[in-house]
Amino acid sequence: MTASSETGALLEHLFRHQAGRMVAHLTRLLGPGNLSLAEETVQEAMLRALQTWPYQGLPENPAAWLFRVAHNVAIDAVRHNQVLGEKTDAIVAELARAAIVEPNHPDVEEQLRDDELRMIFMCCHPEISRDASVALSLKTVGGFSVREIARAFLADAATIAQRLVRARRQIREQHFTLDMPGGGELKQRLDSVLEVIYFMFNEGYASHEGEELIRQDLCMEALRLGGLVASSSIAEPRVDALVALMALQAARLPARVDHAGDLVLLEDQDRGRWDAQLTGLGFYHFDRSMAGDAVSEYHVQAAIAATHARASVTASRDWPLILHLYDQLLAINPSPVVALNRAVAVAKVYGPAKALKAIAPLENDPKLRDYYLLLAVRGHLLLELGRRNDAAVSFRAALACPCSEPERRFLRRKLESCELLTTE
Amino acid sequence: MPQYMLLLHSDPANWQNLSPEEMQKATEKYMAWSKKPFTRDGKRLADDAGRVIRSDHGKPRTTDGPYSETKEILGGYYTIEAASYDEAVKLSLDHPHLEVGGTIEVRQVWGS
Repeated sequence: MTASSETGALLEHLFRHQAGRMVAHLTRLLGPGNLSLAEETVQEAMLRALQTWPYQGLPENPAAWLFRVAHNVAIDAVRHNQVLGEKTDAIVAELARAAIVEPNHPDVEEQLRDDELRMIFMCCHPEISRDASVALSLKTVGGFSVREIARAFLADAATIAQRLVRARRQIREQHFTLDMPGGGELKQRLDSVLEVIYFMFNEGYASHEGEELIRQDLCMEALRLGGLVASSSIAEPRVDALVALMALQAARLPARVDHAGDLVLLEDQDRGRWDAQLTGLGFYHFDRSMAGDAVSEYHVQAAIAATHARASVTASRDWPLILHLYDQLLAINPSPVVALNRAVAVAKVYGPAKALKAIAPLENDPKLRDYYLLLAVRGHLLLELGRRNDAAVSFRAALACPCSEPERRFLRRKLESCELLTTE
Repeated sequence: MPQYMLLLHSDPANWQNLSPEEMQKATEKYMAWSKKPFTRDGKRLADDAGRVIRSDHGKPRTTDGPYSETKEILGGYYTIEAASYDEAVKLSLDHPHLEVGGTIEVRQVWGS
């Protein structure tokens, strides 16, 4: 019995992580067409743990217990429903062999990581829509439930379930395999894998309404998947750049809201609350991303995050460098959101008047209509220029846009400060 | 000190939609509860309906049961020590089994 069995506490996210790798592993043994069977099998194994451990105590090696039970459940299911036809005996034999291996053994762990990697690459098949790829990756390798995914995406559980059903059907009917694509196709697939991982991260990171905890879990899962790809043989420097970017941003999560649950802007954040381990991980991958000549969008974004992280105090932040990086980023990805972020750097380097000019063209961009952040930045710049009435108009307009409760409180405080100053 | 048996009934369908994370949380709560100082013993029972043997005009007749018409099964039991039924019930009120829609039957062990 281990020490943890005294309290009944397990390794954090043990079930979720084991579920992810067991689904990937069983999908390889059962074939991608039987993905649902693999998922149901793993669900059943965890259910049995829940029904057994409270009475019999924690097993010596909980991961190995789950692993063994999942294989035995799979063997029963394969024998029982005969979906595998004449391959049944061979697969049962393989399941029986795999059931007794030690999942924590380094060789087995490597195999399991490879299974997970292949699984993500299949989930991100170009034929599957991006939304479905994200949901499927979270469900299968992430070990998230339909309800958790729905909560994180502020979506209806039925919508998510539908997406998953469709994606599984595509996998089955179009005979997708867990083989890694070759040649030029591999590079493209890696692109979509990184895109899906970054999308997953941003969904978690965006301070939408919704449950903070599940959103942070989403960020950490994206980071884990990124790390999985980065440590594989197919990694390229841009994978490290993406992991660096995610780690450096995730490091700020604990400081992003104060004790009252209010938003804290990057420059006002208590850097002591940044997660030092994640910052370290970020810089480790940032250094690795420097190999080679190619500069991806992830490289530039990571460089911006690194510049913020490197500054020991807010005042010493290298804003000219950050502005320069935003110029590069805008050249690679000329999106209005990037332009808006760049304007913040413009204000730091050249002052609020120049920044106001920089965001003027964005105000007509249909993509930014109803985007509270544009109006909030505008209000902030106007306030710096002493134009309190105009600033108040902007903050009021921002408040009319969809935003989360902490963001709303932040805007209201800003608006109050305009009005307070005006009446004085 | 009198002993009481807590018989934990539940409908396995209640568990089907739990996520791995939720199942882990539930497992931890159950395990923490079973470590409380007043618990003496606990066993899981197989998750099937079991068998019931009745005397049918003097001959034993075996059926699945006892509740073959409902989906609830007796999943396991604990033995706890308590001064009275009231105390036994009070000690059981925070059992996580109740959070997941389960039922707890409390019975005093005779003569204890």
